[in-house]
Amino acid sequence: MIRDMMGRIYRNFKGEILVLPGRTLALLVGLAIFIAPLLTRDIYILRIITLTSIFAVFAASWDLLSGFVGQLNLGHALFFGVAAYTSAMLNLYLKLPPLLTIPLGAIAAVAAGLAIGIPCLRLKGQYLSLATLAFPIILKGVVYIFKQYTGGELGVSGISRLAGSRLAECYIALLLGVSLCLLIWKITDSKLGLIFHAIREDEIAARASGINTTAYKLLAFCLSGLFAGIAGGFYAHYMRLAGPSMLDVMLSFQAIIWTIFGGIATVYGAVTGVVILFPLMEVMRAFPEIRMLFFAVTIVIVLRFMPEGVAPWFLDRVEKECPRCKERNAFTRRNCRVCRTLLIAGKEVSAGTEGQTGHPTD
Amino acid sequence: MLEVKELTVCYDTAMLLNEVSMEVHRGELVSLIGPNGAGKTTLMRTISGLVLWEKQMKRGTRAGNITITGEVYFQGRRIDQLPPHQIARMGLVLCPERRRPFSELTVEENLGAGAYLVRHRRRYQDTLELVYRTFPVLKKRSRQISATLSGGEQQMLAIGRALMTRPLLLCIDEPSTGLSPLIKQELFARIKEINESGITMLLVEQDVNLTLAMSTRSYILSHSKIVARGDRNELLADETIRRSYLGL
Amino acid sequence: MLANILVTTLVNAAAYAMLAVGFSLIFGVGRIINLAHTAYYMLAGFSIYTLVATAGCPAAPAVLLTIALITVIAVLCYKLLIDPMREHETTVLIITIALALVFQELMLKYFGGQFRSVPSLARGFFVILGVQVTRQHALTCMVLVLILGAVWLLLQKTRLGLAIRATAQDKEVANLMGMDVSRIAAITAAISAALAATAGALVAPLNILEPHMWLHPLTIILAIVVLGGLGSIKGSILGAVIIALSESLVIFLLPQGSFLKGAFSLLIMIIVLLIRPEGLFGVALEGER
Ligand SMILES: Nc1ncnc2c1ncn2[C@@H]1O[C@H](COP(=O)(O)OP(=O)(O)OP(=O)(O)O)[C@@H](O)[C@H]1O
Ligand SMILES: [Mg+2]
Repeated sequence: MIRDMMGRIYRNFKGEILVLPGRTLALLVGLAIFIAPLLTRDIYILRIITLTSIFAVFAASWDLLSGFVGQLNLGHALFFGVAAYTSAMLNLYLKLPPLLTIPLGAIAAVAAGLAIGIPCLRLKGQYLSLATLAFPIILKGVVYIFKQYTGGELGVSGISRLAGSRLAECYIALLLGVSLCLLIWKITDSKLGLIFHAIREDEIAARASGINTTAYKLLAFCLSGLFAGIAGGFYAHYMRLAGPSMLDVMLSFQAIIWTIFGGIATVYGAVTGVVILFPLMEVMRAFPEIRMLFFAVTIVIVLRFMPEGVAPWFLDRVEKECPRCKERNAFTRRNCRVCRTLLIAGKEVSAGTEGQTGHPTD
Repeated sequence: MLEVKELTVCYDTAMLLNEVSMEVHRGELVSLIGPNGAGKTTLMRTISGLVLWEKQMKRGTRAGNITITGEVYFQGRRIDQLPPHQIARMGLVLCPERRRPFSELTVEENLGAGAYLVRHRRRYQDTLELVYRTFPVLKKRSRQISATLSGGEQQMLAIGRALMTRPLLLCIDEPSTGLSPLIKQELFARIKEINESGITMLLVEQDVNLTLAMSTRSYILSHSKIVARGDRNELLADETIRRSYLGL
Repeated sequence: MLANILVTTLVNAAAYAMLAVGFSLIFGVGRIINLAHTAYYMLAGFSIYTLVATAGCPAAPAVLLTIALITVIAVLCYKLLIDPMREHETTVLIITIALALVFQELMLKYFGGQFRSVPSLARGFFVILGVQVTRQHALTCMVLVLILGAVWLLLQKTRLGLAIRATAQDKEVANLMGMDVSRIAAITAAISAALAATAGALVAPLNILEPHMWLHPLTIILAIVVLGGLGSIKGSILGAVIIALSESLVIFLLPQGSFLKGAFSLLIMIIVLLIRPEGLFGVALEGER
């Protein structure tokens, strides 16, 4: 029986992952990242891996709300910051352990999602984006007003660590990161994801076909807040600090930059963006003079030539979509792996509506 | 004046126009008739350059691929590679489907926008006079924001705006949608007048009777193909055409 | 004291209005949210600084040169980076942020992060209704209001202005009426950048100069244009006045005012949006193509 199961897993593995170059590459990179901490105990590398995992969740959660549901959120740092401050303050003042503060922080972020979701749902398109931009900045103002509790500019510091060693923290972050990103990806791939997609494409049509778009959009705000909140609380405990920079406009922009750089509305694009850009920027700390300049110029140049993002650009080159069943195939195949349709480069042209009705002259 | 040769337009794999050929001579009022979704609007948009423009706008996005083959000539010059504003400059102007006034602009500003190509002050005044004479309502409402006009008034505004460009060939896409029968007849009379004043016309319409009665020649477009052509009598003489396409 | 506040408010309102009008124009015509808009303002400040403080150029030519320079840079950026990406709305957003960062980092590299101030372009005082006002404030305010008036006239009374407004309404029909839409959009981008540069060149000498000075005005401008209604010129001007007033009040009344002025302006924006989801003068963008 166990052999049977193993066999099924193996076939699944072969049939779902190894057949596609994109997934194979993702698996290899994933494995390398998993093994790396064991080979080198360098604190610096551990830190990069930990933070990359946290920010991958953060970016993916932005993609869920903005990429899939199309509610372009320019103030995503709100969720991150609310959770970070909540976790930090619960830990500092009530002495709760991280195991409790992080979920509570995430719940606070969900509440924040509701709090801004409800008023913002009346807004459309760019108005919504620009309104969401405001919330973290307003909250930052509140943080400054209640200096005695929040520490003002310095933030809340001296909170407890996540785990005993940096290595342990790194693996917790990795596991959490991988599982949450997979979860987000599964959500977007499910029926819920389909509804989100429908809302993005045409909200009025979605509503007309009986979808309670308001409820689903609120749900998207909450889900996105939840995942971003977990990332935020985790980050606070890892850095042992919650400061106003976690409500910064630039942090919101970072999530957007990572996601769009990798490829919006794909989830794997968001993760790819973080996995490429974050370590790159950490390495660039060796050249502080040109670090940000390099970052910005890279973004401009890459997006100028791959406007859809890096991941879709890459996939378009190593994979082909079957014109009939929409299943993806490695670029080396001549026939679709599911329906055997010939995958030719040139597009076949079918004659629209012609021939569906009898020709009147015959 | 206008000559379309084997024009084929595909959006991705759907063929919206299939080797359409037609011509319009100076002074004629040619009408294009056909069922919903036949491709009439697509033909008009291709002739006026909008499809090519759309294609260029969408280049590099996932929105799908537009292919245009065939040739379009206007006054002997090939225009199928030209952008819409240059085609308009040559005197071929489309008054688009669903009116589409510049809705936040006033009636007079709309007409002014139509006269973008008319730099001469006198010529502008003359054309404005002419449009106001043709559609006196517009003069009464000249300071009104065009979004607040009634449907019929908006249609007159759209035609007036197109007239302000001083076109040689005016294409109008479904001017009569949503108009009451009386206003419709009134509008058709105006269109006929404009044609008689020397402006060649290509008209897309659903009202077969009225249209056939006033046009010099007609084309019938169905399922992205031209299936019949000729003047009123020729078309009505053919039993199958009458039954299948004209519903008479 | 009160008079000074009033004058500062007026100058701020005019500068914000100028930035917001430019932002609105290019949003209207190109549907582009240009987050690099206030970076042009920052660049203009540094350009004036270099020309006046370092090269010793007299005020008027320095301002004109600055405006010309920034406009050229902005149009190049528009043509090479933004215009080709127009159909990818979110990508444009990122490219403009990245552009702003590029400018910020370049300025950091050449000028460093320290605060600088530009020597004032005009010295002395005016006495208006018994109140002493520095000549520089008074002149800046006057010039800004004059330029805003000129832009208004340009939009309302000229052929180009009409074309800009028509293009903002419906690009396809504008095309059909013989307007070269991409040229009009490029001209609009130029006007928009020139306005930002003018604001920067004139207002920079009144304020402190540093490479991060684009971020705060950016959030304020966003608040203003949303408050006024996206793409509406009238709304931008009214919004600028409201926000400038509220900023002054916050700084004047609250101890930590300068930390809070941004938050407060955004709060006002949110409140207005809750009452009128499309801003004061906005029209619902629904159903446009
Ligand atoms: N941008 C587009 N992408 C894909 N298909 C399109 C596009 N525009 C039009 N079509 C399709 O092309 C066909 C022809 O459309 P078109 O608007 O030309 O018809 P029409 O003859 O003007 O119809 P009607 O009388 O209803 O106005 C329709 O089936 C329509 O769905
Ligand atoms: Mg049609």
